[in-house]
Amino acid sequence: MATTTATLTLSSADLLSDNLSLSASMNLYKGGTTDTGLEQMNYHRLVLPTGTVFDLIAESDALKDNSNYVYIINKNTDVTDYVLIDINDNEIGRLYAGDWLFMPWSCDLSASATDSSIEAEAVGHETIIEYALFHVGETLPTAGD
Amino acid sequence: MATTTATITLASADIADNSFSVSNTSTLYTAGTNTGITETTGLGRKKVASASNVVLLGATTAEGIAQDVTPDKSAKVYIKNMNLRGDGTKFVTVLLLTREIGRLYGGDWMFFPWNATDGKDIEITPYDATETTLEYTIFYE
Repeated sequence: MATTTATLTLSSADLLSDNLSLSASMNLYKGGTTDTGLEQMNYHRLVLPTGTVFDLIAESDALKDNSNYVYIINKNTDVTDYVLIDINDNEIGRLYAGDWLFMPWSCDLSASATDSSIEAEAVGHETIIEYALFHVGETLPTAGD
Repeated sequence: MATTTATITLASADIADNSFSVSNTSTLYTAGTNTGITETTGLGRKKVASASNVVLLGATTAEGIAQDVTPDKSAKVYIKNMNLRGDGTKFVTVLLLTREIGRLYGGDWMFFPWNATDGKDIEITPYDATETTLEYTIFYE
């Protein structure tokens, strides 16, 4: 098993009447285990053209029914550029230039479920995205040609 | 304006054959500007002792802590499951209305942008009726 930690720090000296400082740290464990770390990770950097909703992280049999954690960052610098992050056309929110997200993700392949892929659409200009998926592991299912 | 930053560090010494570490800091701005977000709900805490669906943050509802969040703008949400991990089988399912986003096991946190359009409540469904404690905050305009 691997040990991967995700640490968040939120801070501000002037948002409130006193300093804001919040820190949270977690280990990325497999679902249903006490302390068994996720063993695999995908890390990508790509360009999102505007005008099309893309499957950024597609659902797959290897990812179902366990713990997955997703990190996405918008690497553009123009503050007006943003990326819509959706699941099956349900917009979660907008990542403006420099913004990032980190969240668990349920890959649901049950018969009653609609597509659970994480989708992204660039608005304004094409956008450079980096994203990571931490997951329980995948084994290539099909032989090559 | 205020300056609020959110920093993430992802690190592992053994998930690959070399150490992996990514760290980034985002300043929380209003939509499409370099003006810092000036509003927050502050840090809140909620206890739930039910396996039923619960609205944690209602979008544009007439009542509730998130009522002032402007849709189609810049808002960031932090949620942490404060329970202990235990045997790792219990979690809180986080949903955007009825769409499941993911599962927060004990000790897990998430930080994400939120488009609080009408009806897109952030809801939770605990695994069972064991008391679950969540902490949350929203930064918004």
